Amino acid sequence: MIQVEALTRRYGSRLAVNNVSFAVESGEIVGFLGPNGAGKTTTLRMLTGYLAPTSGTIRIDGIDALADSIRARQRLGYMPEGVPLYREMRVYEYLRHRGSLKGVVRVAEAVDRSLELAGVADVRTRIVGQLSKGYRQRVGLAEALIADPPILILDEPTSGLDPNQVRQFRQLVASFRGKKAVLLSTHILSEVEAVCDRVFIIRDGEKVADLAPGDSKTSLEETFAELTTSKGDAS
Amino acid sequence: MKSTWLIMKRELGSFFVSPLAYVVLTSWLVWNGVVFWILTEFYARNAVASGASTPLSGFFGGSALFFIPLLVFVPILTMRLIAAEKQSGTIEILMTAPVSEESVIIGKYAAALVMWCVLWLPTVIYAWIMSQYGSVDWGAVASSYFGIFCLGAYFMAVGLLMSVLAPTQITAAVLSFVALGVLFAMGIGEFVLDGIAREVCAYVSMWGHMQSFSKGVVDTRYLVFDLSVATLAIGLSVGVLKARSHG
Repeated sequence: MIQVEALTRRYGSRLAVNNVSFAVESGEIVGFLGPNGAGKTTTLRMLTGYLAPTSGTIRIDGIDALADSIRARQRLGYMPEGVPLYREMRVYEYLRHRGSLKGVVRVAEAVDRSLELAGVADVRTRIVGQLSKGYRQRVGLAEALIADPPILILDEPTSGLDPNQVRQFRQLVASFRGKKAVLLSTHILSEVEAVCDRVFIIRDGEKVADLAPGDSKTSLEETFAELTTSKGDAS
Repeated sequence: MKSTWLIMKRELGSFFVSPLAYVVLTSWLVWNGVVFWILTEFYARNAVASGASTPLSGFFGGSALFFIPLLVFVPILTMRLIAAEKQSGTIEILMTAPVSEESVIIGKYAAALVMWCVLWLPTVIYAWIMSQYGSVDWGAVASSYFGIFCLGAYFMAVGLLMSVLAPTQITAAVLSFVALGVLFAMGIGEFVLDGIAREVCAYVSMWGHMQSFSKGVVDTRYLVFDLSVATLAIGLSVGVLKARSHG
């Protein structure tokens, strides 16, 4: 569903993402791990068309995302880091707006369905800006789900959630196994172990590992520490 | 087309639920009420000196009182368009939705034009008041509003461009203020300079623009100018928004 080849992104002279390649298959839940500043958000932003890569290719559901960005974006649900939302809107208004913008045909039904899925049906008439962070986070998730996309890209989706909400969120993501391709970035290792089938580790813009959490004999925590600090922790 | 409509609708919705909209509209009407009162007082006391002009032609661009508030109100109306999305981070959800840069810019621009019309709509009452106490040249009133719409089409496009360029709303407002201030000041050059420079200044003069329309003269040179500036500014806005992903 997602195929990335030799993806590179420079900010001026700084190399943020360097020659990263990976693939995420349909039905698979993949974790994208790395220390802060490793290039996770930059990579996800390139996948979603928000940033243009310096070089490399991206295919989303077989569509060349650089040549046909709008069609590729139709296949994606994206929840950016920090979950920016239109704070002055009511929850259902916001979802209805985003659903229409994404070309959803039966918007009212799609709004109800995504409100249920994300567990925010109880705040549907509240103003987004007045919600707690945990609720806003889940409104962002409802927005990503509104068009029932085959691919979900979630950037640090559980930051700001309380332990119960984290558990619910993980159950929801796990329910997409076999149905959607999910790529979620995080630096919470237990999250990856709990829900992901596979994990990529990125460090200083370079992919340093592609493994299944249960693969290696050592724990994911040790592997992560080894891979991301061995060269002297500069990041 | 549909996404342009949705973007316009959301922009207008967010503007009209904000207190800013009502502060702007109220202070705009207070300002214009005072200006209208001063003008009618002036014409009532100086019937001979005023010649062919009327309180309404004075109100619609015959005096500096028309332009000074616009230099302030236009930047406030346009500063939010794109800069607010950048400031709040919502530009990321906007530009990762399946919408083109063109539909975003045109949607935002259409919203700004609607705001401009809402700003002017209540002033129709001044023409009605005048019609109760004397004769009103409705043709000149119509051409005044047409002139104001065209001027708005150009002001809103300049403001939009500044909002695309600026990282924050306040920077956008300052940039629009400076851009419109310079364009306004160039009109004064008509009375100061000679030769080709004078011609250029006369051509870009907002003052000349509104003086002509307020007398009922629809001068196509000004229309061509408004349309050209608006088209250029909108085109540049699309270009800047497209370049954003490479920044």
